[in-house]
Amino acid sequence: MSPDSHSAPPPASPEDRLAAAEHALQALRSQQEVLAAGISHDLRAPLRAIGSYSSLIAERHADGLSEEGRDYLRRICEASSRMEGLIEGLLDLSHAARASLQARPVDLGLLADWSLTELRDATPGIDIEATVQPDLVALGDERQLKQMFDRLLDNACRFSGSEGAVRVEVSGKREGDRLHLQVRDHGSGFDMRYAARMFEPFQRLHPAEQGAGHGLGLAIVQVIVERHGGRVRAESRPGGGSVFHVELPAAPVAGDGA
Amino acid sequence: MNGREILLVEDSADDAELTRIAFAEAGIPNRLVVATDGADALDYLFGRGQWQGRDIDQQPALMLLDLNLPKLDGREVLQAIRGDVRTRGLPVVVLTTSVEPFDVEASYALGVNSYIRKPVDFGEFVSAVRQVGQYWLVLNQPRTAWSRATQP
Repeated sequence: MSPDSHSAPPPASPEDRLAAAEHALQALRSQQEVLAAGISHDLRAPLRAIGSYSSLIAERHADGLSEEGRDYLRRICEASSRMEGLIEGLLDLSHAARASLQARPVDLGLLADWSLTELRDATPGIDIEATVQPDLVALGDERQLKQMFDRLLDNACRFSGSEGAVRVEVSGKREGDRLHLQVRDHGSGFDMRYAARMFEPFQRLHPAEQGAGHGLGLAIVQVIVERHGGRVRAESRPGGGSVFHVELPAAPVAGDGA
Repeated sequence: MNGREILLVEDSADDAELTRIAFAEAGIPNRLVVATDGADALDYLFGRGQWQGRDIDQQPALMLLDLNLPKLDGREVLQAIRGDVRTRGLPVVVLTTSVEPFDVEASYALGVNSYIRKPVDFGEFVSAVRQVGQYWLVLNQPRTAWSRATQP
């Protein structure tokens, strides 16, 4: 027995440390769930009141206001709908990080078409011209990958200039057990010096007047892709459009013998 | 449209007023009774507390239930309603801002008839309220014990 064997506690075994870390992780997860539920209910409730009562004033009492008063009211309505988008984004980010993933073969072309249909419904003033390559089948969670397309395509349309027309291409190819997906737009592009930063939450490369959202869309994309064991990066030059490269696990091909 | 009351269980006065305006805009004439917490809602249904002496044979046509409530929350209210023969058949629609999968799951497990997220946009809220009213007060055939309704 060594002389100092009584002075220091024996180092925790790797098993004990792992169990302690798992316990701590579990505690963090449930704390995050409580926070997300709080955001979902308690932040939304006063926001509903602000948005609804200001839109009621706009509908029923606008005549009693001066031009300046109507301008202030419009700003309140717009700010409350921006905040709703922000809360939605925070919840989606939190869900993306903690929801359990159900991996199965998913037709990405169908998901992209579905996202585009919803986007066209939501933005009737913009003419979205899209080409989507068929037969891109990834292995992943359908709901989360749909969310990924929602955010990528929304991003593509947001920065596609003001001419009222947007061109987007979704394509890809399979290499072994990986699928390389590309989402290309022909919009304003971005400065490549900031290419990594745009995936961090709340980072925006454009001012609000040029279409910037709440700065969470691409962060959500990155969380979803990384939870699938994939990678995402962006490529662009200002004025020359952007390409988002997403690498995901490919679905096993029939006859792989797996 | 049957003439019975709608019981709204809602702790926020802002939201209760919005719901009242939305029902008026949607053209639903039924009287809206507001209970401000879960215990008050059960008192109303069972004729206790401040509702002592209410004729509990006249139950509401529909109950709109928020989930996060003071005293007894929405899940506990549901449990109590479904556990009592007098209220087992009452149509209950959860109307809440939460879309946490956990809340949705728990509500259906406790026997809710429908789960609706309150839209933030007031116009969408009016349209949701109109559809809820159309379905539960016009289309839906309630249990016979309930349908000795007040047709004029």
